[in-house]
Amino acid sequence: MQTLINVGVAQMEIATNPTVLRTILGSCIGICIYDKVKKAGGLAHILLPSSLDKDKPAKYADTAIPMLLNNLYKEGCKKENMSAKIAGGASMFKFSSNLSLAMIGERNIERTIKLLEENSIPIMVADVGGNNGRVIDFFLADGRLKVRAAGKEKVYYKV
Amino acid sequence: MLTNIKERLEQVVNNLGQLPSIPDVAGKVINMVNDPESSFNQIALEISKDQAITTNVLKLCNSAYFSRGKEILSVERATVTLGIKEVKDIVFVAATKSILDKEIIGYDLAKGDLWKHGLSVAVLSKQIALLKKKVDIADIAFTGGIIHDVGKTVLALYVQSAFKEILSLVDSKQISFQMAEKEIMGFDHQEIGEKILSKWSFPQILKDIVRYHHEPESAPADSKLIVSIVHIANVICLMGGIGIGSDGLYHQLSDAAIQTVGLKETELERIYANLPDIVNQASAIQ
Repeated sequence: MQTLINVGVAQMEIATNPTVLRTILGSCIGICIYDKVKKAGGLAHILLPSSLDKDKPAKYADTAIPMLLNNLYKEGCKKENMSAKIAGGASMFKFSSNLSLAMIGERNIERTIKLLEENSIPIMVADVGGNNGRVIDFFLADGRLKVRAAGKEKVYYKV
Repeated sequence: MLTNIKERLEQVVNNLGQLPSIPDVAGKVINMVNDPESSFNQIALEISKDQAITTNVLKLCNSAYFSRGKEILSVERATVTLGIKEVKDIVFVAATKSILDKEIIGYDLAKGDLWKHGLSVAVLSKQIALLKKKVDIADIAFTGGIIHDVGKTVLALYVQSAFKEILSLVDSKQISFQMAEKEIMGFDHQEIGEKILSKWSFPQILKDIVRYHHEPESAPADSKLIVSIVHIANVICLMGGIGIGSDGLYHQLSDAAIQTVGLKETELERIYANLPDIVNQASAIQ
């Protein structure tokens, strides 16, 4: 039976087939990494691009990604079988342009993509930006990602 | 169909019976707290008349968020230990839960999402008020935070039928979601919320929070600060995905509000970074 695990803000979960990892995103990014051979993966719900405090690695892209990868290696996952899907990074519809808070969505997207590239994890899907909230379901059975935004659903299968 | 929605909504707001109700005790206590003539004992007595509320109030007094350590077994004790403003906030949580803690269809919020959103905005609004040394309004910021989206509970069904039109208007006119709500349905969720609070005989300052939380720059001078605080808390929670629905982030982040509250960029970012802690505090209210 499928178990559904809700991943909260600044949390990370590692799971295997047939678990489903769900999270709800605004400006945050849901980073989903999948090992297609091992049928295992993890989801990190990051809030900000770069770490301010050292004690909560899952909160920041630059600490969450290495931790997510290390945890997957510990589970026996291999880098050559891994790929990533990312979602989120929305921005407020209207804001004054000099406000750095309002740019967090964009900053999160940029940093996440760069860090995944530096770690040589190919990004299959980036459902990011815009002004929509997103509810995402990451299926560890086959690595597919379901994104629900503004009343519409999309499913991404590529792993 | 859309003119039909306008007519139906017009009827709803003009017929108080169709708007949600909460236990009378909430309105009475809120107004008594603002009345210097009311004593702690009178307020405690008023609460005790409603047994269901009293049970929930005592439970909340001993919750991880409100508890001061020692177990509280009576409302009188609560007013002494926690203070009258805190007890008022607790009564408010107990009285509004049944209205807010449900699925909100048109906005795509699962059961519990709007409630958790309100509690998170409440906790964060209070924290911002305290950070800015506005101790005297921290409790009102909390109450306003809980209730700011109450209009969504009534508007939801209509938003469900008009959703496509609302979103395409947002897109074509580049206006925020609640402006498009108003244009298409005649009312936005802020105005419906204000009507609901009028029915409950709530004080003007709470009505202002509900009415202007997406447009704090339009709030009356008297309530501009508190409306701005709740506005910022709401935006930060939505950006963090807390209670984000089909209206997404199709709202504004008001520069004027940030200036009114006097928050620096670094402070704002720190508040945002601290969101997981706010969510934890909000989930300790039960």
